[in-house]
Amino acid sequence: MELTKPASEALEPSPGRGGEIDVKCVGISKSFRDFWMRPRVRAVESLDLEIRRGEIYALLGPNGSGKSTTIKMLLGLVAPTAGRIAVLGRRPRDVATKRYVGYLPEESYLYRFLSARETLDFYGRLFKIPSRVRRERIDRLLEMVGLDAVGHRPVGEFSKGMQRRVGLAQSLINDPQLLILDEPTSGMDPVGARQIRDLIADLGRRGKTVLLCTHQLSDVEDLCDRVAIMFGGRIRAEGRCADLLREEGVTTIQTPALAAPVTDEIRDLLARHGIGPVQVERPRRRLEEVFLEVVERARAEGLQTSGAKAGGPVPDFLRGDESGGPAAAVTPRAPPATVDTALIDSLVGRQADGTPE
Amino acid sequence: MARRSDRRYRGWPALSWAVAGAAFLVAAGAIWLGFTSFGTALAGATSMAACFGLGLALIRRLLGGPSGITGVARAVVDEAVRMRSTLVLLILLVGLVPVLPLLLDPAERLAYRVQFLISWALGATGLILGFLTIFLACGSVCGDIDSGRIHMTLSKPLQRWEYLLGKWLGIVLYNLLLLVVAGGGAYTLVRMLAAGPAIDAADRDAVDRQVLVARREVAPEPDNPQEYAAAIAAAIARLETDSPELFATNPAATRRRIESEYRRQWHTVTPDMETTFVFPRLGTQGRADAEVQLEVEPRVTNVDVDLADVRFALWLNGRPWPLKNGAQLEETLPSRARHVFDLPAEPVAESDELRVRVANRNLVPPGETRATAITFAPGDGLRVLVRTGGFEANFIRCLVLLWGKLALVAAAGVAAGAVFDLPSAILATLVLAAGALGSEFFRDALGTYNVVGESAWGRVADRMMLAAGSLREQQYYEAFRMLLGFVTDFVLWLLPSFTSDAAIRRLATGITIPWSDVLTRLALLGVAYPCALGALGWLVFDRRDLVRGSS
Repeated sequence: MELTKPASEALEPSPGRGGEIDVKCVGISKSFRDFWMRPRVRAVESLDLEIRRGEIYALLGPNGSGKSTTIKMLLGLVAPTAGRIAVLGRRPRDVATKRYVGYLPEESYLYRFLSARETLDFYGRLFKIPSRVRRERIDRLLEMVGLDAVGHRPVGEFSKGMQRRVGLAQSLINDPQLLILDEPTSGMDPVGARQIRDLIADLGRRGKTVLLCTHQLSDVEDLCDRVAIMFGGRIRAEGRCADLLREEGVTTIQTPALAAPVTDEIRDLLARHGIGPVQVERPRRRLEEVFLEVVERARAEGLQTSGAKAGGPVPDFLRGDESGGPAAAVTPRAPPATVDTALIDSLVGRQADGTPE
Repeated sequence: MARRSDRRYRGWPALSWAVAGAAFLVAAGAIWLGFTSFGTALAGATSMAACFGLGLALIRRLLGGPSGITGVARAVVDEAVRMRSTLVLLILLVGLVPVLPLLLDPAERLAYRVQFLISWALGATGLILGFLTIFLACGSVCGDIDSGRIHMTLSKPLQRWEYLLGKWLGIVLYNLLLLVVAGGGAYTLVRMLAAGPAIDAADRDAVDRQVLVARREVAPEPDNPQEYAAAIAAAIARLETDSPELFATNPAATRRRIESEYRRQWHTVTPDMETTFVFPRLGTQGRADAEVQLEVEPRVTNVDVDLADVRFALWLNGRPWPLKNGAQLEETLPSRARHVFDLPAEPVAESDELRVRVANRNLVPPGETRATAITFAPGDGLRVLVRTGGFEANFIRCLVLLWGKLALVAAAGVAAGAVFDLPSAILATLVLAAGALGSEFFRDALGTYNVVGESAWGRVADRMMLAAGSLREQQYYEAFRMLLGFVTDFVLWLLPSFTSDAAIRRLATGITIPWSDVLTRLALLGVAYPCALGALGWLVFDRRDLVRGSS
């Protein structure tokens, strides 16, 4: 069963992945003021941002560069001092926008006295998800983040990493179209961090738009389609991840292990072509791989733990292009993000042809 | 191990009910073995705990729907139940109320002890629940903002006003639950104490017919209202001619003083004089079973000995009363004490109004040439009390009034939490609550020391006139004082009053708290003020950047 979208939300269907814009900011600035209304900190300055549907977009930058403030403005928690924002074709404070947004903040701000299950239930209620569907989603999400066995324990008794898992689960309870993750792997053990990376990649494949804010640059390299690097409240570099990382003038050839005479022969051959100096080395395994291998072995031996267990599969209700299960019926399949650019331009204060108003 | 630890939490509700069941069994066993007090106390405490558990389950179910407001409200209830400060205050409540009867002197009259227990139990409940409400409301909202939880909550499809309303709703429902449980406990204790031995038959009668009842009070009116009003007007006119200076600075206050003095004189029965007090609209016409009482607190005047006895004779609707062997008895009562007479059915049943004629029969004190006058304090020194119902309904109405006041405090706490940080929010709410508790005192005090007109506009006009007069006479400080009065008048006009209904005092003295009063007060304190405070809080909260420490 598919719920019908209200007429007010019926917008043009998307022509395909990456063609529409889920987040658009034009010239947004934010200054925080002190008690006497004097400007105290200029956190964001004249920032332009555009995230397309289905993209995994990374917002990078050192501490205090304005990433979290930008995210809070996208969520309508902080009002920009200047500039305009459109999220999924609407203003960020619009309740209709928030129905399709999932958010994991940089720290796990949870009610310590609620259990993991009650926490998810609380956030599910805020999305007005019917109880039967809510229960089903909670089961699936707890299983996904590996907390199904400790779902009745108060969150206050959880480790930081376990609380992050609860936070991640709550961000997915509404099957969001736009997922905003602020430091999702902070405090996580490598197993959890790997699971989150896999989850983000999976969600990306399912057509979700992900805005990722992290200091784990390796995650960004592995996952993200586009990257913006902020400093001093402004974006200093932006582009496709592959383009930014490409190193011109170096070629790497990877082969099975070679004997010394073979290596020498290759050196000679390259020297004859005037190529040098040549660096030959035996690759090393990453520590993360070794760690994951040890944990997997322990689990296989049936050792018990009071913490999180291995995460389960991504629930079906988190649909993208794939068909959802029965629970999928709650959230309208096509959120209002599927907008034509004219609507976004009108919200952010530009003409349809791109010229400012 | 993980699964086992989770099962521990899952089994908690079942364990609680098992403990409650076991406690009931122990209580029953104790009563059967003769340890009645212990058994009753244990059964009572267990009943209160069970009521709390059932009520909590009911509220959680009531708030179980998929809605943002009820979702937030339910989280507040869960938070309240599990907050340590809540637990401490609840223990205080459960500890304070039942301990009191043990501290009362058994030699004291039972009626006084019961009255004291009612006042103490409901006063302590109101105070503790008031503090609890302030901490819960401010702590919940400020805690969400300071910890950053608000980011997760308000990134969901929830309007900011829905968030505030949800917080208020949760606290109000939790208060209702606590009031029901604490009220149930207090009622049980009052009934247990009242069932104990009285000092004498009069004491027992006072408990049953003057304390644990609901009686409508009827104030006296002059026999001839036109004559009364004309007498006051004449007195004012005479004084205006004789002493115009008294009306020069503040005519309204002077008139009020004259009216008050005349009223006091009208409540005074001079020697060898008779005064008729009319008690209209008793609502007893045709009812032979109507229970009507006359309550008097007579005082003697113009004599040094305040505590002298008072002698007077009474006529009810023209009939001498009381009679003994066909002759009228004169009453001789101690001065400055409250006395209650049960009135006979006949004169009350034949008419809807009671005319009480009082004749002063005081003797001439030694060394004096004239007998003393008798004065009844205007207000509650002389009144007729008509029984309208039982203690239980009155008790419930008193709790409803208390609930309304707590709803106002909750709204103030939520609004303050939405605007200020935690210490400032608690301070602001405490100031408002203390102001509401003391507003009657402030009004009286400022009424005594400042300009007072009869109406708000009258006061404004008086102040303007006085300020202008002071400026003309270059008395700038006086003019400033008058203008400052505008501010105090305005603040007092805004400030709600928690004590003007005198609910606990009425309940403890067996005076009916009418439903009309309850509903009016509930609409004002439980709806209008919370709406205004909530709107103020929302106006700031809606424009506030929700980052930590921003206030």
